[in-house]
Amino acid sequence: MSAQESPAITLFKQKAAVVSAKVTEVKGVREAMAYALDVCEKKEFCEQLLSGGGDKPSDSGAAQGERAAVKMIAAPGLDAAVFKTLEAEGSKKGFTVIREGMRRYLAGIDVGFSTADLAVAETGTCVMAAENEDLRLATMVCEIHVIALAKSKIVNSLYDAEEYIQKLMEGGVMYTSFISGPSRTADIERVLTLGVHGPLELHIALMEE
Amino acid sequence: MSAESMKQYHEEIRESLDNAFLRETLDKFAVAYRANRTAVFADLNAKELIKEIADAKDKYVSRLDELYEQFSREASKRGVHVHRAATAADANEIICRIARENNCTKIIKSKSMTGEEIHINTALEAAGCKVVETDLGEWIIQLRKEGPTHMVMPAIHLSRHQVADVFAVETKRKQDSDIERLVKVARRELRVKFAEADMGISGANFALADTGTVAICTNEGNGRLTTTLPRVHVALCGLDKLCPDIHSAMRVINVLPRNATAQIITSYVSWMTGATNCGVTPDRKKIMHVVFLDNGRSALAKDPACRDVLRCVRCGACANVCPVYRMVGGHKMGYVYIGAIGLILTYFYHGRDRARALVQNCINCEACKDICAAGIDLPAIIQEIRARLVEEEGSPLESTLLAKVLSNRGMFHTLLRFGKWAQRPVTGGTPFVRHLPDIFLKGQGFRALPAIAGTPFRNKWKKLAEGLPQKGKYRVALFAGCAQDFIYPEQLEAALEVFKAGDCSVDFPMEQSCCGLPVQTMGERKASENVAFQNVKAFAAGGYDYIITLCASCASHLKHSYPGLLASYPNMTFEVEQFASRIIDFTSFTRDVLGLGEEGLRRTDEKVCYHAPCHSCRGLGVTEQPRDLLKAGGNYLPSAEEDSCCGFGGTYSVKFPEISAEILNRKLNAFEASGASTLVTDCPGCVMQLRGGEEKRGRKLKVQHMAEFLSSRLKK
Repeated sequence: MSAQESPAITLFKQKAAVVSAKVTEVKGVREAMAYALDVCEKKEFCEQLLSGGGDKPSDSGAAQGERAAVKMIAAPGLDAAVFKTLEAEGSKKGFTVIREGMRRYLAGIDVGFSTADLAVAETGTCVMAAENEDLRLATMVCEIHVIALAKSKIVNSLYDAEEYIQKLMEGGVMYTSFISGPSRTADIERVLTLGVHGPLELHIALMEE
Repeated sequence: MSAESMKQYHEEIRESLDNAFLRETLDKFAVAYRANRTAVFADLNAKELIKEIADAKDKYVSRLDELYEQFSREASKRGVHVHRAATAADANEIICRIARENNCTKIIKSKSMTGEEIHINTALEAAGCKVVETDLGEWIIQLRKEGPTHMVMPAIHLSRHQVADVFAVETKRKQDSDIERLVKVARRELRVKFAEADMGISGANFALADTGTVAICTNEGNGRLTTTLPRVHVALCGLDKLCPDIHSAMRVINVLPRNATAQIITSYVSWMTGATNCGVTPDRKKIMHVVFLDNGRSALAKDPACRDVLRCVRCGACANVCPVYRMVGGHKMGYVYIGAIGLILTYFYHGRDRARALVQNCINCEACKDICAAGIDLPAIIQEIRARLVEEEGSPLESTLLAKVLSNRGMFHTLLRFGKWAQRPVTGGTPFVRHLPDIFLKGQGFRALPAIAGTPFRNKWKKLAEGLPQKGKYRVALFAGCAQDFIYPEQLEAALEVFKAGDCSVDFPMEQSCCGLPVQTMGERKASENVAFQNVKAFAAGGYDYIITLCASCASHLKHSYPGLLASYPNMTFEVEQFASRIIDFTSFTRDVLGLGEEGLRRTDEKVCYHAPCHSCRGLGVTEQPRDLLKAGGNYLPSAEEDSCCGFGGTYSVKFPEISAEILNRKLNAFEASGASTLVTDCPGCVMQLRGGEEKRGRKLKVQHMAEFLSSRLKK
């Protein structure tokens, strides 16, 4: 994009593509949210993987192809003020926007929206301090995960990420997640298939600031 | 080993060889894996990284107890219960107790080889729990009630149709065999299991001692759900997964996914530090237990000959490149753990009875050693285990005989000479053994076996020596090896022509014997040491610049194994070192020392292809020299997988002829497809296998040793 883009950013974009993540450049967090809302708008209604839903799922999966009636975005862990904006903009489009209580929606939601705390260029990885259980669940049971990542958070190698992660771990209790692309498998005949137990797609909104 | 268990093993192997789907799948995989791995390592120095991992792991394998204490302290501080289980039974008991004490009956698992090792599912089911595997491959094989056939791709042996069938039974409705749909079936069927489970069991790729963190690498996302949703999480972790800090883990992450599946990184790496936030417990904290499994690991850490196996990161690459795995698949190449590491770990973790037949099934091609993410010399450890089995249980008859005969050079050579007379009725005057009744050589019909030469090289030597320079530029000694001395003396004679052209004075010490590799691979440790000792002594007084051998396997064994074999012999260190440092293979000597190339050779348009002997390209790292020479002397045509084993493996091809034959067939197909009329290699064992195979097929390719190829092209 800009002529003076750092090599780490270029590398990140390239490697994110290798791990099947879709990178879009945006100005800031507002634009990243707008992007997430747009993604949600364009996608099909989320397939419901549990029939009973709520806290008491039934014994068997729902009928194949059953889809939710309302689109849902979850963004746990998002800064309160930012979340308010997302909620307001989402409601205008008729989406339900939540930031907690994810255990009620294990059947699946449309979009999980989160920010990355760090990213690694060489592997196309986003790093999240995900001690918040709702954040972990939202980013797993969504069909599309949108991560807002500031360019300034990109480091070159896994080794360069060590110091940051070490601090998270030394701080006490923590669940640190590396996410590199959508969930995937090649367990049947070695054919790569995206979207197993986690998101079917991973989008990265790469923010200038 | 009892003949019965070996017989059964051969029957199982036959089944695999006849499984067309398995063969095709593993063939495609072997080829694709090589190419993909090379591409994914393009930006990195793989060898250097692997060396770093090996060195680092060696440092902390020796202090597992200390790391365990530290981990335990740090994890406890963060609300985690840490256990140490001495045996598989102890680990099962601990995990069943955790389930009972927390009223858990619905259990989900993410992939854990350690869980397979202790058969945790069986134990939990016996305790009344329902256990569901959530890794797609693991779930498939769980539904089929079988074990994994690969450490990272447990269901690689199954077709989409077989998966559709098993899913149809599980879901009680017909399933399409479209792979994407099958994956969605798993996504749907397993979501409810995640939602309902009260306990999740994961494995661990790393246990970081300094912060009490457990880390897992997964692709499907099931690991993240398994460790998040249920209120109880049990991480089952081999003691060998302990490491000091995050840097040790990151180093491995740089190699593990690349080596396993040629990915730069797995989709998820989850680092769990302490009892994390959980929405369904009274105190909102996960009930977290880490169970460390010993099951022989501490003892292994104190076993100098074998402790390197604790470096293993479970990438499965040793299976990916194994020519035997490629033919027979995982169920015949391990008990729980698969591939070269599987042969070894079966012995240490599951005992002699399960390992006895398995550890024989290594062809010693060193492809696994070459690719191992932690630089483990797997074939050497497999040989060590064979030696232990011999020591623990005694030798099988044929191995005892060979050991006795080889230990006595005079007797050995007399027997070989006698063989010349004994074979006469069966050669029909050709250089091949033709009519030998099957009882003598069971299953050897896939290749024509060479006849023993009329006059061995050693009997011709005196006369041959007369025509050689007395005071040449180089003073070299020839190590003949049994195959060339007694079967292919003409290869050595061809080499003498090359030496003469290069102005070398040559010696042939008469006291030399077999290099000892055959008895070494049969686990006959003492005999192996005996011949090593004799050979070093035979060459000690000569003052040679080089000791040259035309056999890649001899060269690699003499150079790399002798120092270790004779380490306990008093006052031999210097002599052995002198000996080993002077060993050079014929091809390297010719190209690098004599400088033979276009100037010294008459180039012809003959189309030649090349087979790289395992112990040349991997054992000695010789790759450029033979190809340079072929280009200088002929029209070299590359062929597919030149570096993969020809299936000979010395005694291996006698023990497992059915596998040897299939490996050979594939190789010959590739060479024939290259369009060449001559196949050149630089090992008499490979010549024996390849020429014998071509003879059986109807002799399309002329098979030559490099010495023969060169001597026929020397400019006079």
